[in-house]
Amino acid sequence: MGYADGSGMDQTPETNGTPPLHSIYEDDLDLRDLVIRFVEEMDQRVETIRSAFLSEDVVALQRISHQLKGAAGGYGFDSIGDSAARLEYDLLTDEAMISDLSERVEDLISSCRAAVRPGDS
Amino acid sequence: MSHDEPMRPRVLAIDDSDLVHRLLRARLRHERIDLHSVHTADEGIAAAKKLQPEVILLDIDLEDLDGFEVLARLKADPITRDIAVIFVSASNETMDRVRGLDLGAVDFVGKPFDVGELKARVRSALRMQRLVKMLAQRAQLDGLTGLWNRAYLDDRLEAETASAIRYGNSLSLVLCDLDRFKSLNDSYGHPFGDEVLERTAGILGSGRSPDVACRYGGEEFALIAPGTDLMETMEVADRHRVRISEIQWTDRPGVRISASFGVADLSCISGAPTPEKLIAAADQALYRAKKAGRNQVVAADAQVWPHSATG
Repeated sequence: MGYADGSGMDQTPETNGTPPLHSIYEDDLDLRDLVIRFVEEMDQRVETIRSAFLSEDVVALQRISHQLKGAAGGYGFDSIGDSAARLEYDLLTDEAMISDLSERVEDLISSCRAAVRPGDS
Repeated sequence: MSHDEPMRPRVLAIDDSDLVHRLLRARLRHERIDLHSVHTADEGIAAAKKLQPEVILLDIDLEDLDGFEVLARLKADPITRDIAVIFVSASNETMDRVRGLDLGAVDFVGKPFDVGELKARVRSALRMQRLVKMLAQRAQLDGLTGLWNRAYLDDRLEAETASAIRYGNSLSLVLCDLDRFKSLNDSYGHPFGDEVLERTAGILGSGRSPDVACRYGGEEFALIAPGTDLMETMEVADRHRVRISEIQWTDRPGVRISASFGVADLSCISGAPTPEKLIAAADQALYRAKKAGRNQVVAADAQVWPHSATG
């Protein structure tokens, strides 16, 4: 439960069995509300990543991966930050076409979707 | 400025990501600071000038301009030059850190930041900022008398002149020179001379609150009187003159000292007013006070005083 589209998309291949991710700050009173908001914005974020990837918008993809690299850890999701860092690194250094980065993009999307809202279980 | 409620130090965060601003706000919530957030380099530079924050947290990867360029511009402007800048960046490149520090950043915090480290670095920058301010102020104080020194007078007079012209306010300058100071020194020794300077400074420095007292040279003092016209400043100067002549010297009961005063205001100046012209006008008046027998106050335009201005 809990997915807006209610279509059972939480079983889509990109979650790929990634275990649920809990913020290390979910019990931190200063941060709990921010973490909830961060997780609630995740669907929108995934959509941004997906559409940037599909339209081969390198700049947008780079921007969001850079932001997640810097911020996700601050919200207690280090592994999302790590996935974002790998994608950003490849975007900046690879001569490869953006379409070759699908694995990195899927990896980031599945980490994002695995994030668990504090209070849920 | 009110003294009973000290302002909390201002910290300006420049970062294009709302995720980061929210995090900073939550993480620095319990610090005694006012945190301001902006998203672009342009907004950041404008806010730095307007807000005059003690510390800036600056992201390297802004969308409109990179953080290095922002830092370079802050350092190039006297108004923002002394603000302590901490770089905040997800970049792990040592080169970036070196470049930032070389450009004048005081510190570097990596993203994602560790909360304890972030707080400690902000506190450390605030501490350093206080010391830098104190040192800068020391460099503008006269060591013997504790009054502002000549360097400060020049800066302040320029600022006051510009402001008086802009807002159409009065501005006066008093130059004060101790009479026969050299022979006092020769007769009673330098320690006594120093005491005379200190006591005179004490009188000049304890006048009306808007007045700015400076030690201008050896035995010469200056008083900037913002918002005060020639007539009123003459009266202020004369009160100082009387107090100086009444000083009692316990070790040298018979000794009386005196001082001569030259006063000028912006209306004494022909053409566009400048700090230099104001000083020159007051200096000329002081010279006339000396020539007329010392221990008196003379206005720059002797024709004008004590009658009201003819325009």
